Amino acid sequence: MSRARSSTLQATVVLAAVLTLMVLPGGAGVAAAQSVKCPVKALARASGPVEIVMWHSMNRANEETLQRLTNTFNASQSAVKVQLLNTTSYRDTFTKFRAGLSSGELPDIVQLEDTALQGVIDSRSVVPIGACVKADSYDTKDFVERVLDYYTVGGTLYGMPFNVSNPVLYYNKQAFQKAGLDPNTPPKTLADVRSVSEKLVTSGATKSGYSIKLDPWYLEQWLAKAGKPYVNNGNGRDKRATAVAFNTKAGREIFTWLDSMVDDKLALNTGPPEGNIDNLLAIGAGNSAMTIDTSANLGTILQVLGSGQFPNVTVGVAPMPGPSGKGGVLVGGAALYIPKASSPEKQAAAWEFIKFLNEPSSQAEWSVGTGYVPNRALALDEPVLKAAWAKTPEYKVAYDQLVSGVNNVATAGPVIGPYREVREAVVNAMTRMLTQGVDPKSALADAASTANDQIESYNARVG
Amino acid sequence: MPAETEMAARQARRRRQLRLVGRYVLLSALAVIVLFPIYITVVNSLLRPDQIAARPPSLFPTDPQWGAYPDAWTDGHMGRYLLNSVIVTTAIMVGQVLLAILAASAFAFLEFPGRRVLFVVFLATMMVPFEVVFFTNYQTIADLGLLNTYGGLVLPFLATGFGAFLLRQAFLTVPTDLRDAAAMDGYGHWRFLWRVAVPLARPTVAALSVFAFLSAWGQYLWPLVATNDEKARTVQVGLAQLRDTSLNDINVTFAGVVLASVPLIILLLVFQRQLVRGLTAGAVKG
Repeated sequence: MSRARSSTLQATVVLAAVLTLMVLPGGAGVAAAQSVKCPVKALARASGPVEIVMWHSMNRANEETLQRLTNTFNASQSAVKVQLLNTTSYRDTFTKFRAGLSSGELPDIVQLEDTALQGVIDSRSVVPIGACVKADSYDTKDFVERVLDYYTVGGTLYGMPFNVSNPVLYYNKQAFQKAGLDPNTPPKTLADVRSVSEKLVTSGATKSGYSIKLDPWYLEQWLAKAGKPYVNNGNGRDKRATAVAFNTKAGREIFTWLDSMVDDKLALNTGPPEGNIDNLLAIGAGNSAMTIDTSANLGTILQVLGSGQFPNVTVGVAPMPGPSGKGGVLVGGAALYIPKASSPEKQAAAWEFIKFLNEPSSQAEWSVGTGYVPNRALALDEPVLKAAWAKTPEYKVAYDQLVSGVNNVATAGPVIGPYREVREAVVNAMTRMLTQGVDPKSALADAASTANDQIESYNARVG
Repeated sequence: MPAETEMAARQARRRRQLRLVGRYVLLSALAVIVLFPIYITVVNSLLRPDQIAARPPSLFPTDPQWGAYPDAWTDGHMGRYLLNSVIVTTAIMVGQVLLAILAASAFAFLEFPGRRVLFVVFLATMMVPFEVVFFTNYQTIADLGLLNTYGGLVLPFLATGFGAFLLRQAFLTVPTDLRDAAAMDGYGHWRFLWRVAVPLARPTVAALSVFAFLSAWGQYLWPLVATNDEKARTVQVGLAQLRDTSLNDINVTFAGVVLASVPLIILLLVFQRQLVRGLTAGAVKG
């Protein structure tokens, strides 16, 4: 090609690229993210083993499992050496991460919880995992679609989901039998839960049918099950969310259901969620026969309720019941992000470790050791997971939920900047409704207006 | 003694006894309320996890399980973290007390222009919440290269407006006659401060020391953010690592709390009398 034509061609290409970037939806963050590259080949340039640090919030037994996986990785090759740092809790990790943004004290991989997604995007400080996937031609075909959808905003996958959990129904099979119900047919819809509770109460099997923990995700999960988004702008995924979308008929139905169950003495309110297990203990005490709680607690629940302390309880685990609709259960847990601040070699090393953690065998070991759900279907073929799930099929319920139902914008989950504050508003509304007699419609409207204020001020701060 | 006065004396004695009994009952009730959480923490550290989950909960460990303590020691890295905490907290305590003494002595005993205004500024710093200066402090410490060192953990907390305020009040109670007498004996400001004023204000100094120790010992967010490994991390971060969202080994969490509190309890027992005197010093006149 002649010089003049090649430079014209170059200019045209550059102009086209700039125009495309300007036209793309989303804020500056998204456009900038799409231009961040993941240097997957940089490892080859390194002269010796590349040492990287990963900040995580896994404690006790989960930490042991993670350390085992890390040791296996370190021993299996000599190009990358991973050092783990326990930064105690998701929230504190995020605080430490944000502080590090100003000082440069950042890890090479950081595990941040699901609700931190918008905050991470707005920090503009990570290499989107999608860029690594693309650069490395990494096959994600068998990954659980909903799990990848959760961390994909504006078409970019930001984090690699690592530990996945979601809410499941725990119920007492013995109480069901006592009430003349089939212990192997747990309720599926809200109406079912109500009629089951009525039978439980009238037969005297338990004092009330269901124990409600004042958890904000009741609203989130049940709207997703009904196929409705939680915030506007495509659940915050097409554009930054500017208002909540739960002050609707569907949202009011959910709040009204909770309120009427408590009013009709079919359900117990067991209080706010921080470290609270009273909803589970109520089952043990015979005060209720059903509750919804995270699948991550399954191991503990089986251990405690099976310790002989509660001889009148046989634990059943079932998919979370909820409103009917074109929806499904939402993803929970945390994901791994690669900060941009690391050198290309360290970014490549981080990507190698993330790929290792995604290996079906790693995911199987991780799932068996922690009770989290694997993020890909190939893990289910691993013998260690097959055996564990054959022995305790209750563990499979959370996984099955994720791959059933519809994958749409509602089940991808909401992306909210001030997630914690919005959740607080919802919990306050639930508390006022269930303990102070505020009616569901007003409570929900109050929650919506407080949440919208929070979102507005967050968006104004972030610009 | 005539009959009426004897009966009156007996009635008075009975009333005194009743008042005494009433006082003891009230104090015992308050003691139970205050001590119960501590008692339950110790009890729970000796129970099995499913016993802790039982309702009604056990109030006494009939079969104490001591295994939680070694677990808490290793899982919470207590050995190293306790050492770091003791070093850092002692340094902060000593630094705060020394700097408070110096600042308070200037405010109490010296005349200089702008003294009032400066003191008000000191007081004003007490109204700024920690979160406001948190990130700025972090950046300063990072720029100084003191992250992950004892220096980084101690430096931001060496001076407090509270310390200067407390000791200034104590120094102001030193009678002026004493100062004049000392001046006549040829005592300069420095000797007067350390030979006369500080010994007189000893209860307040002790109270400030304990207060400084307690608040420094309880610091969590700063050590978490300003340190990256075992080298300099403190015991509160270790406790947080023992925290679990599920019930699995919650007795270990309780054991960790007990272990982390031991140095505090020792300190309080040693300084108890000074502390009470310091806190009630201004209560009785003359």
